[in-house]
Amino acid sequence: MVDKKFDEKSKRPDLVRLPTGIPGLDDMIEGGLPFPSVVLVSGTAGTGKTTFSLKYLCEGAKRGEQGLYFTTLSEPTQWMLRYASQFDFINKDYFGDSIVYMDLGNLMREVDANQLLAVMEEKIAEVVPQRIVIDPITVVGGMLKGDYRLFLFDLFNRLKNWNATTLVTGEVHPGEIYPPEVSYAVDGIILLQLSEEAGARRKYLEVLKMRGTNHLTGRQSIDITRTEGIVVLKARF
Amino acid sequence: MNSILEAFDNAGLKGAILLDVPSTQFVKVNLMLLRGLAMERGMSGMFISVDRPHQYMVHLLTMHQIKAEKLIFIDAISRFSADCKVASANVGFVDGPFHIDRLPEAMGEWGKCNDGNSMTLSDCGFAIIDNLSALLTYNNYNSVETFLKNFVSFLEVADHIRVPLMIDSEKYGLLYETAKTLCKGELRLSTAVPALGSRADSVPKNITNVNYCKG
Repeated sequence: MVDKKFDEKSKRPDLVRLPTGIPGLDDMIEGGLPFPSVVLVSGTAGTGKTTFSLKYLCEGAKRGEQGLYFTTLSEPTQWMLRYASQFDFINKDYFGDSIVYMDLGNLMREVDANQLLAVMEEKIAEVVPQRIVIDPITVVGGMLKGDYRLFLFDLFNRLKNWNATTLVTGEVHPGEIYPPEVSYAVDGIILLQLSEEAGARRKYLEVLKMRGTNHLTGRQSIDITRTEGIVVLKARF
Repeated sequence: MNSILEAFDNAGLKGAILLDVPSTQFVKVNLMLLRGLAMERGMSGMFISVDRPHQYMVHLLTMHQIKAEKLIFIDAISRFSADCKVASANVGFVDGPFHIDRLPEAMGEWGKCNDGNSMTLSDCGFAIIDNLSALLTYNNYNSVETFLKNFVSFLEVADHIRVPLMIDSEKYGLLYETAKTLCKGELRLSTAVPALGSRADSVPKNITNVNYCKG
């Protein structure tokens, strides 16, 4: 009988998880982000959203998982890579093969919501990624012709059905914690925050929501290093 | 040559064949199997969706120029998920993934009723279910085990049908061990297979380290 070596717990389906590779974070979220899911990484300028996203994709590439990076900033690959290459964890060989880069910036000015969704799905079907990044999603709301909320609902629903875990980054103004029109439709929210304390700006990460996950709550101090990118500081555990 | 099919051929495997695949790679391996079985071999077959609406696989096949005319989709999730994605295919629906006990019966029924595109078991070359472990989300373990036994024995009546059963042994160890007792062979696709992480169009020609474990 095969049952003997398995207890009742093993009959329950555990969620499949994708490690982010961010030191300290995976321990906070039971090993990684649920697969498939859509997770919002929210923060003001300079909090490390793009660094977070790149680390997530590079960790996937290292594990043999395909990545797809949608940028909405009309930024050519070489400019993105020029800044990203300052991090030791970036392996340029990943880009173009294990991590495919697509600029949606110009397209968003010309097409409506359905056309944008169709173009994104075509790329997803071509690349068959397990890890997707849309950076930043908040730009889409300002440029898209059509109903932004409906677009987000359809997009997030379809991203999960394509069997990928998608990070969407959301740029917020100081004082805001996340873009509400995005947050209602996602499975997880990770906040990256800057706080001025005793004359110094300190960086924090907080897992606000992660469906199906017994996650660590509360703000955790982080550092951004050239070697690892974002690091959740262990002193807080 | 599709290396998974080559491994099937070399081992003379027909009937239920267990594939140990990381959960994140199910879509790619399904795509490889369909490319090999439906396109390269020109076989008719059934694709049963229990994890996501069938339209996604149809879209994927279209993008990769894999013709789906010889495929019948049985979709056990669309009517449950309220997804409105559109794709054209021969498809029958099961009310939801909670009703898996009805699936073998449904395969018999819908195989015959799609506008002249009938498919009896003798016409059917393969049956793929996407994916078995997703059934554990909607059913208790014992129901899934019973379904699996019925599903395999239903298809084994016709001994030429290939039934690749994809399970992640690391994640779903118990289901994997159960399936192993029902399968004629087992193929392990290592997580370290580089091609599984490369772009889909390069997958079929690059996967070479499929390990044949047992006949």
